[in-house]
Parts: sequence; C-alpha cells; structure tokens
Amino acid sequence: MESDDGHERAGALAGLSLPARLVVAAGAAVIAVTAAVHLGMVFLHVAPSNTVTKQNAAAIDDYIYPEYEQNWKFFAPNPLQQNVAVQARAELRGPDGRTTVTGWTDFTAQDGAEIRHNLIPSHTQQNELRRAWDFYTNSHDVKEVPNGLRGALSEQYIRRIVVGRLGGGQDGRTVQRVQVRAVTTLVAPPSWSDEKNEPKPAYRVLGWWPVTAADRTEAKNR
Amino acid sequence: MSTSLPLGARLSRGIDRVTGAALGAHQTAVIRIGLSFTWLVFLLREWPNRHEMYGPDGPWSWEMARRLTADNHAFTALLWSDGGLWFEAVYAFAVVTAALLALGWRTRTMTVLSMVGVLSLQNRSVFLGDGGDNVIHLMALYLILMRCGRVWSLDARRAAKRAGQPAGPDLTGIVLWACCGAALAAAMVLGDTRMSWTEHGPLPGIGWATALWALWLVQGLWWLAKRYGPGEPRAVLDVLANLLHNAGLLVIMAEVCLIYATAGWYKIQGSRWQDGTALYYPLHLDYFSPWPELSHALAGSGLLVLLLSYGTVAVQVAFPFTLLNRRVKNVLLAVMMLEHLGIALLLGLPFFSLAMIVADAVFLPTSFLRRLGAAVGRARDRLLPARAQQLPVQRESDEAATRTLVG
Repeated sequence: MESDDGHERAGALAGLSLPARLVVAAGAAVIAVTAAVHLGMVFLHVAPSNTVTKQNAAAIDDYIYPEYEQNWKFFAPNPLQQNVAVQARAELRGPDGRTTVTGWTDFTAQDGAEIRHNLIPSHTQQNELRRAWDFYTNSHDVKEVPNGLRGALSEQYIRRIVVGRLGGGQDGRTVQRVQVRAVTTLVAPPSWSDEKNEPKPAYRVLGWWPVTAADRTEAKNR
Repeated sequence: MSTSLPLGARLSRGIDRVTGAALGAHQTAVIRIGLSFTWLVFLLREWPNRHEMYGPDGPWSWEMARRLTADNHAFTALLWSDGGLWFEAVYAFAVVTAALLALGWRTRTMTVLSMVGVLSLQNRSVFLGDGGDNVIHLMALYLILMRCGRVWSLDARRAAKRAGQPAGPDLTGIVLWACCGAALAAAMVLGDTRMSWTEHGPLPGIGWATALWALWLVQGLWWLAKRYGPGEPRAVLDVLANLLHNAGLLVIMAEVCLIYATAGWYKIQGSRWQDGTALYYPLHLDYFSPWPELSHALAGSGLLVLLLSYGTVAVQVAFPFTLLNRRVKNVLLAVMMLEHLGIALLLGLPFFSLAMIVADAVFLPTSFLRRLGAAVGRARDRLLPARAQQLPVQRESDEAATRTLVG
C-alpha cells in the first residue's frame, strides 16, 4: 500500500506542546488497544473451536454479537449437496362449514422459477424461504420440539410465509390450518464419477398448524 | 522503507506516517463509493419487495423482530415505531444516505447516517441476508472511523474550490449537525428506542445512545476547533483523526484477509474440496443456478470442476500471504475479482460478488486507482461534454480529473 499522495506531512507531532503530545499518546494507546482487541475477537469468532475460544466463549460472544457476527464458510467445509424443497398444503373451510384439503404447493420450486434466467434475484426469492427453513431446523430437534424463543419464532415465521404465499384462502374459503413438509433430494453424483447415491427424496413432514389471526396480517395486505 | 535504518529511526518514521496522514485515500474512497453504491442498488432493486422484507406486516413481523431484538439487542431504528409511515421514512432514509455517501457529500456525517440505515434494515430482518449483507454491515460500521472523503467526493471538490480562502462559518454543516442532534433527541424522547447508555452497543461498556451522542459531540468539537482553535487543538484532532482512520484501514484489510482465510481453510477440511468435485454441487442447487444450462455445461467437465475447485481453495488460502509481495498480490486480486464476477452470474449472487470485489479493492495500488479515476473522469466528460466545458478548471491536473468521478 502506498501512502496518501500529497497529504503526508513529515512530523505532525513535531510542533506540538507536551500536553498536546500526551493527549495524542493517550488517544493512540486507546485506538491501538481497541483495534487489537477487535481483531483478536473477530479472529477467535471465525476460528474453529479451540483452547482459547472454549475457555472464553462467553466473553467472545458478548463482544461479537450482534453487530460483528460473521460467517464466511461459503460452501465449506463441504458444499450443500441436496436440494430442499419446502412445500405446504392448507385445510380450507367453506361457508357451509365443510373442510377440504388442498394439494401440496412447492414454494421452493416457485422461488426457483423466479430465480431462473434472472440476473439480479431478489432476497425474497433466494433467501427468505431457504433461510427461514434453516432457522426452523436449527431451532428444533428431530421430534420437531422447538428450543425456546427462537424455535417458537421460526414456526411463526414459516407459517406466515406459507399463509402469505397461499393467499389466505380460495373461492371464499378461509385457511383453517396449514401443514408444511420439506422434501430433500440429493444432488445426483457427477456423470464422470462412479459414485452412487439414493435417488429417492426424503420427507420431513410437520404436524398441522392452526392459522391464527396473527398469521394473516400479511395475506390481508397483499 | 529502508531496512538499513536503525530501529529507533524506523519507529519514528512509522509514527510520522500513521499520525501525519490518512493513508490509502483512494482505496478508502473506493470502499465508500463501492459499498454504498452496492447497498443503494440493492435497496432500489428490492423497492417493490420492501414491505415483505422489512415492513411491519411482512412475514417476519414487527412484533416478531421486537421479540428477537429484545433478546439479541441488535440496533435497528425500524423498531422504534410500528407505523407504516415510519417504515417508509426509514427505507427512504437508507436510500438517500447511501446515495449521499457514495457522492461524498458531508462524508463524515453520512458514514454515520448511512450506517444507521444499513443496521436498521438488516437487523430488522436478520434472516433475509447473505454474505453480501454481512460485508456491507461490517464495512458500514468500520467506515465511521475513516476519512474516506479526501478524494473523489463532493467534499473534496468543495475543499479544492475553497483552497486559499478563509474558512467561512459553514452554514450547511451547522444546520445538518443541528438537525442530527434534534432528530436523535426527538427519537429518544418520542420513540421507544430502547437504546442503552452502557450496554449492548458497538463496543463493551458503550451503548448506542452513548455512541451516537459521542459521534455528534465530536462532530461539533471538530467544527469548534476548526473555527476557533486553528492552532494546536486543530492539529491534535487532525492527528487523532489520522490515527483512527489508519486503525480503521488496518481493521478493514485484516477483515478481508479473515474472510478469505476462513473461506479457504474451512474448505481444505472438506472431502468434496479434497476430491475436487465441490464446485459441481452448487451448480446443481436450485437456489444458486439461475442459468442451469450454463451451470450444467460447466459442471459436466470433471477436469474443469477439479481445476476450479482446487484453484478456489488455493487462491483463498494464499491471499493473505501474497500481501508480502506486491506483484503476486496484484495478480491474485485480479484472479479473485474475476472469480467473483463469475459467481455473480453463475450462482446468481450479484450483490455479494459486488461487495466482495469492492472489499478486495482496498488492496489495489494507488497508481492503478488514479488511472482508473482519470479514465472514469474522461468517460464522463465525453458523455456530458457540456458539463466538461463548463468546468475546464477541473481538468487541469490528474488529481482534479480524478476528483470529478462522482462530482
């Protein structure tokens, strides 16, 4: 890196009085220590779990979250090797009180269709549902039990996305309940490799969720 | 720097360097312009989707965001009120401040206001972002430390015009400063800001209320020193500002190195990056293959996938070390920028790629950036010949020509 052209004045400190120099020295010390601590914390945050991070996990998290959180493991250690399709179906209730169940709607496929041949995909197409589902799986165990606040929020988030995209109802029939499932298909191995994998998709089917008024605010405004 | 100098002399030269000047004027200007431009284009692209993404009634509702931020204490002005008008105002504020920061109008104030816009939107809906948002978020915080408007900014142009004249009272600056203070005071009195003085802020022990008021006071102090203490007070502030800028520059550079080191070192541990098939998989993910024909054609060649997979890991791991050698560093920068252009198109991640290219640019040589600035200035003059004739004085020197880039 070259120096700033033309602005460099050798010896900016030369003409300063002693008190002024002390102020500068104190400022320099604070700035240097802060920068060193910051870089140390960020390094420990992105580094793999190690002796230092295990012993100081709380202090590091306190410093980093929420504003300096970062994750640069792009497609690492291994890239995602499966396509996860989030699908939903609805139970509708007509004016006569009779209920019907719709077929499954594949919202991931809808996202995919909107991303295709798009130079600038929107975050609503590329990240919204994909990351909402990640959020759900990260905050639930295999028995679909939510872990605290985040678990509950992720359920409501998925439900609101789904209800919003389903559009509230059909032909005057309102959505009473929704059911969500994820269909995971492994990416077929390359034609030039001799690997084989399971071509059949795996299903993760959640229970029926009642749709409350709080889940409908977006559908109403669309 | 000569290595034959004794340690003491080298140390004092180093101190002169970091106190006497804001280093990397062009590099930091590129970061400012590039990232605020990326953020601006993103905001305009998402304009039709803004309610769904950040609005009070979006899928991630105001009330849900409120519950999450009560837990993680992230800063966002969007939760100060659940009104629809407030949401529109904050989104518009983010757009305007991004544009003004790119232009370099009242740069130091705009770095703060633009950061408020970035954090307000991103922290409001934290599950919408990707790596690109993450880069913009961090750099928005770091830019506050920088004197990033010294070149290629309206500020620099105004300063050049005023050169030699006695400093006026700067009415615009006073009005802007007063408005910022009034707005912050009004927000804290009228809004439910939940900003603490001592907790949950940008640094331990410093809450957002303290941080924002401190920035405002420093701005006032700066003006006072400029107007009434042109001697030593001004010189001390100047030195401190240089120190802060240079520390910020170091942090930004280290951050870019950490990004590549993390991305590279974790890949080394992955079996797919080891057997050289890794790249095949993202090219077959529905969310990351906007051009399936192209992606599948590329993924169809085992050799090409192997070379690109190994090449990616090698470049990412090597990058921080190549900073020791100027020529190798520049070659690698070009390779990485090209790779990010490829990612922008192939994986459909234009904003992430643009943000990374801009972050890479902090390592570009000054001579190259000056030539680039001059070329952009000439291109602009050709496109807008009338303007060029109106302002002939601006094109007298290389420096002036580069300054017209955004002017």
